[in-house]
Amino acid sequence: MPDFSPTQYAVPFFVLAVLAELIWARFRAPDAYEPKDTLVSLSFGLGSTIAGALFGGFALAVFIAAYEYRLFDLTPAPETPWWAAWWAWPLCFVLDDLKYYWVHRAGHRIRWFWASHVNHHSSQHYNLSTALRQSWTGAFTLGFVFALPLVLIGFHPAMIAICGGFNLIYQFWIHTESIGRMPRWFEAVMNTPSHHRVHHATNPRYLDRNYAGVFIVWDKIFGTFEPEHIGADERIRYGIVRQLGSFNLLYAVFHEWIAMIRDIARAPWRYKLSYLLKEPGWTHDGSRETSDMIRARWQQRVVDADRMTPSPRANPIAEPREAA
Amino acid sequence: MEIPPLILQILGSLVAILALAGLARALGLGTGATLTGDDEMREVAADLVDGFVAERVSIARGGAAALAKGADGRIMLIKRHGNKYAGRLLSGDARVREEVDALIVDCGDRTFGSQRLSLNDPGYWADAINRL
Repeated sequence: MPDFSPTQYAVPFFVLAVLAELIWARFRAPDAYEPKDTLVSLSFGLGSTIAGALFGGFALAVFIAAYEYRLFDLTPAPETPWWAAWWAWPLCFVLDDLKYYWVHRAGHRIRWFWASHVNHHSSQHYNLSTALRQSWTGAFTLGFVFALPLVLIGFHPAMIAICGGFNLIYQFWIHTESIGRMPRWFEAVMNTPSHHRVHHATNPRYLDRNYAGVFIVWDKIFGTFEPEHIGADERIRYGIVRQLGSFNLLYAVFHEWIAMIRDIARAPWRYKLSYLLKEPGWTHDGSRETSDMIRARWQQRVVDADRMTPSPRANPIAEPREAA
Repeated sequence: MEIPPLILQILGSLVAILALAGLARALGLGTGATLTGDDEMREVAADLVDGFVAERVSIARGGAAALAKGADGRIMLIKRHGNKYAGRLLSGDARVREEVDALIVDCGDRTFGSQRLSLNDPGYWADAINRL
């Protein structure tokens, strides 16, 4: 395996970009950062690097073993190295991004995966330091299984890892409020700050939307796309439905694992597995709400409010008329 | 002695983290939020729990914490969290204690912490919480 990780080389760029955004925030949006929140988010990033070094080997070993059973040899000739087929790189990048969409979607819809991924969402701020707020416990989910089809097709594990690294680097810059919207053609195809702000929002209409990594088209294809409603009287609220209310790093890392294990321990036997595999917020007694339930309640409220508002059509006098 | 690259990377990252968080503080970013009025308080409560319509609210002196009672009888404890707010709906596990100048409310979530609220109407809230 080659010893090349694009994210390691990107770290100085990450630091400089956060520095630049801090200065932007000083003049334009002093509330965009909070020192303790920044400290926690960046510590998440460091811890995630350490956790990756400690536990990442298992997934790698599985990939290398699985590569021996690949269906195709994606090299120009048997004696050429794994990286030689130039066309395999963009193909791998796109397919890895499709894989990212699904593993990310699982991260939100399966509580076991959410226990890890919630770390990335638990800040009530949305800035470049939030991008580095990465989980320490990803190795304890089965997220890596989503990459196995790529390995079995014949993409070398190193190629997948490098493409995944560039995918992660791309996602860094979209964690910001300093950029409104990108050009229309770009917004149509690529994941952008606007699309990803929606993903980090707790507003009911935005819950579990925009899972994309690099290409927003996956959300449009699979029906999970929601545009940002700029200008509506709906401010984006960031974080999680039940805000942490604590800057304790260890609590922030493990709170959902603890809550999930506690729920499993307390649940009747026939529901235990559901607390692991069903969506966050699911309970056997309906005592909590899932994102679908929150959205449905909000939608009903909107419908009711519309019904209460008299329609101009019902009152002809209220219609705008031309002056005589 | 040669220091392993991973250790060097960790040390370098640690220095950068402390420098950036320190700079955020030095630039005066994210200074604490303060609840100033009932309307803002209602908005915060609705933000924290979707659909929560606060009928009665009391902001503690200093504006760092508050209690809100919803139209449906639910009670929410709100506290300042950095320059944002966090809240917990109180259940039967909540404990309330009256002191001379403040109400101590424990929502039952240890990490959220007990909140000390100096209120104008502590008796009302103590009764309401005890009835949950």
